[in-house]
Amino acid sequence: MTEEILTLADVTVHKHPSKLLSGVNLHVLKNEFLGVIGPNGAGKTTLLNVIAGFEKYSGELKLFGRKETLKRSRHTRIRVGYVPQLFPVEPNFPILAAEAVMTGVVGRVGLFRSPGRKEREEALRLMEMMRVAHLADRPLGQLSGGERQKVSIARAILQQPDLLLLDEPTANLDIAVQKEVLTLIDEIFVRKALTILFVTHDFNMLPSHMERVVMLRNGEKIFDGSIREALTGQALSGLFQYPLETFERDGRRFVSYG
Amino acid sequence: MEGALYRMVDPFLNILSYPPIQRAVIACVLCGAGCSVLSVFVVLMKMPLIGVSMSHAAFAGAVLGLLLGMNPFLSGLMLCLLVAAVLGPLSDRTDIAPENVLGIVFSFLMGIAFLGMGILTQTKAGALNLMWGSLLNLSETDIWVLAVVTAVLILFVVLFFKEIRAVLFNRRIAASGGVPERMIYYILLFLTGAVVSSNLSTVGGLLIFALLVQPGATALQLTYNLKSFFWISAASGIFACVLGLAASYLFDIPSGASVALTATFLFALAFIFSPKRRQNQLSERKPMP
Repeated sequence: MTEEILTLADVTVHKHPSKLLSGVNLHVLKNEFLGVIGPNGAGKTTLLNVIAGFEKYSGELKLFGRKETLKRSRHTRIRVGYVPQLFPVEPNFPILAAEAVMTGVVGRVGLFRSPGRKEREEALRLMEMMRVAHLADRPLGQLSGGERQKVSIARAILQQPDLLLLDEPTANLDIAVQKEVLTLIDEIFVRKALTILFVTHDFNMLPSHMERVVMLRNGEKIFDGSIREALTGQALSGLFQYPLETFERDGRRFVSYG
Repeated sequence: MEGALYRMVDPFLNILSYPPIQRAVIACVLCGAGCSVLSVFVVLMKMPLIGVSMSHAAFAGAVLGLLLGMNPFLSGLMLCLLVAAVLGPLSDRTDIAPENVLGIVFSFLMGIAFLGMGILTQTKAGALNLMWGSLLNLSETDIWVLAVVTAVLILFVVLFFKEIRAVLFNRRIAASGGVPERMIYYILLFLTGAVVSSNLSTVGGLLIFALLVQPGATALQLTYNLKSFFWISAASGIFACVLGLAASYLFDIPSGASVALTATFLFALAFIFSPKRRQNQLSERKPMP
């Protein structure tokens, strides 16, 4: 039987005067690639924040079979990698791309110990995998948005997580870079045998290994099923309250915004 | 030539033989080192308002100490630690803008400080010294307190350097990776309180703010390496303090003011000759490929 990595039972996030998440139930199995889709304000990022341990909630959350709260052990935190939306880094900020990747190993190494040669080589290998090894000695703030996101993914993978949370990792990137980042995420999923939760609102830019989708609207889960069932005009029009149609090309389904 | 040099240096060498001047120079080095190490955090974590609030907490606490007949350093430190304990959890809350929290705390502390000064029945000189600092009236105990606090701060940076780098880069990402970011942040707030209150007697509660921002801002113009950042910040802080003290002696001006002005002058030099700024300007001018 496949191990259940993540379980949410009746999880609610209440911030006066509204509910950001309302009674969400979710079961994620090991090595699943799950998409979390919904319009702005649907509760996608809140859901990721609850799982990452940043947001107070009511209900029950289990990670790797253990009930968890906001206060988590270092060991549990390390097992959950987190890639936030692209955030600004000042061009002057004193951190190089390689150093930013190495911050992913700090928790793993623990207090009063320094990362060794093994960890540095591992970081470089991941940067090579994410096609940013040539930027290792460049200040992070001087990299493009796409390059910074690849560095961010390499940093999260260096943590050696079992569950990877990706919060709209391709937002604000141009189309070619979005496609490249998605291909790299697919590659990581296969090579590292991870479980991935991928938040997005762009259906035409989905990783090819994503098979299951959860749809959120106004903090409620309104759909949980295969990506084929999700990408229908009827389901998406209902989700976004806007007429949407889908069409097929090369065996893949795409959304037309009309 | 040698004679001219001797005539220039001799007055300084003579005056250095006096114990109050020796203590002032040692205090300048310790104050410059401690404040400038803190300024790395203040500048990179964009928390100058925390620096202002802590310096005013120390000042208000010390004035209250004078009112209640307590040791001003201890009362300043106690109020600083209390403010740190309040500011930490409040700035972590997502439903209140941190700037508003700091604005409220800062104005409250200013109110307490000036109320205390208003009702102080004894001479105001003691309170004014806490505001401007009084480098020439330091006791040996003041120097020891300053030395211990500065040493603890430097030890904190050395022991937790990799965690500090992760927290400076992004607190949330650090937390997600198993870094005890809250512990690092809270220790930092408490150390800010300790450094600021131990420096009330050197540069004072108002002018210390210059040393909590300018050395870090100076280093930001010059390096991308965090270790060098700490070194450059510390060097510019110490240099500003010692040069400021020498200028105060030479031109007979208040020492706190001359330290603050020297720190600003060093920042201006770093800004004008910043290799990072020139590099950024060049890359902006390059035509798109």
